[in-house]
Amino acid sequence: MTAAFARHARFALLLATGLALAACNSSGGDAPPRTTVTASAPDPVATAATTSYDVLPCFFQTVPGTGGTTVSGLVIPDVLTLKFGSPAGFPNGRRLQDPVPDITLAAIFLDLTRHSPGVLAALPLNPPANDRPFRPDFPYLALPQGTPPIADATGRTFAFRTDPVSAYVRVDRMGMPAVPTVLIAQSRRPAYNDANPSDDAKGNFVGELAEELRILTNALADDFIARGLTPCAKPA
Amino acid sequence: MKIVTRVLLGIGVVLVAMPLALLVPARVLPAADHLEPALRVNQAFITTPDRAADIADIYAWHTDTKLIIIVTFAGPQSITLPATYDRDVLYGVHIGTGVPKSDATQNIYFRFGADTSNGAPRHGIEVTGVPGVTGAITGPVETTLQKDGVLVRAGLFDDPFFFDSAGLGMSRTSGTLMFDRNRDFFGGQNLTAVIIEIPRDRISNGSNPVAIWSTGARFGGLLR
Repeated sequence: MTAAFARHARFALLLATGLALAACNSSGGDAPPRTTVTASAPDPVATAATTSYDVLPCFFQTVPGTGGTTVSGLVIPDVLTLKFGSPAGFPNGRRLQDPVPDITLAAIFLDLTRHSPGVLAALPLNPPANDRPFRPDFPYLALPQGTPPIADATGRTFAFRTDPVSAYVRVDRMGMPAVPTVLIAQSRRPAYNDANPSDDAKGNFVGELAEELRILTNALADDFIARGLTPCAKPA
Repeated sequence: MKIVTRVLLGIGVVLVAMPLALLVPARVLPAADHLEPALRVNQAFITTPDRAADIADIYAWHTDTKLIIIVTFAGPQSITLPATYDRDVLYGVHIGTGVPKSDATQNIYFRFGADTSNGAPRHGIEVTGVPGVTGAITGPVETTLQKDGVLVRAGLFDDPFFFDSAGLGMSRTSGTLMFDRNRDFFGGQNLTAVIIEIPRDRISNGSNPVAIWSTGARFGGLLR
């Protein structure tokens, strides 16, 4: 068994477990208590659609140009991943100018054997660039807009806290853009932000990711189809 | 529910990434990781939002010789407001170069402090844990700091994220798809950011992929 196959098999098992538990909970059946996958209220998105979709193919599809990386490999664990041997540009890292929302949408909703990850960005759905040009060299970001007060830079002896990392309590974490905000239900986001990528890798949130994607796909698939796009999800 | 409404609601969550979008005014809608997790950092949801610890975005890209990491936070905000330098927040940039990549092999931390020796506080940044750097990188904000081949700058910048989230709200209320590629919700807004530029060979671990993520943490516990 190859390592890649083993990862897929493990993900499929976790996903199937998560989906089964989610389905039990949503149907009001005699669901067992959820441990690694906690029931959560989905964000208000859409009413039930007539077609229910299986989103498993979306997670397993390979993202073109990534050297064989699957969508599941991009979003789990929730980190930015850089391959120094390949050109920079989302999802190989994230540059300032990358149209991240549209690429992410394409990756999780569309059949990437038929469409480029850049197909939605090419429409485009969103502004294609920042309103201020980025600088080509350090510090890269554009200057602040307007004439806000700029901090006095003449200080020399600063009083920093010296407390250990353990004295701080996690508020937020971020890696892959849009994963928690799109695919984790609002009520579960505090727990998600408290967790670490190593927890993601254990499959702690796999069921929720799949369930949120299923809900969104059920609502949106017909509209993608109407626009001539092929969803990665298949009718269940 | 009409299909157009369903679509708009669905696209709303996906594109703007805004939970409870239907319940809050457009000016506080989260996107990317701005204003998330809302139950901790978004004033539309709680009375004590922790703006300072709210990571807006992380960017990381490489060149032939360098790795550039940018963490943005405490935004977006009005162009009349100053940067946010909160002494009680610890920011982390975590890097995994082993197997599995989800385990951090390097942890870079930065925090802010103040020089109060001459009246009003003048803020500085301290960056620790940078590979190949002896000790901390320390110096005033709004200044490019350089030590052992690493560049660091903290300051107020334009919010680099671009997305039409305002159009989503209009679409929702009108029932007509009104995304506008010329309308950027983050346009004309600022935030605070820290840029760290590191020689790439200090991060590389053979051909292993490099995982990067960021964290924001509050001294003594969450704001209540």
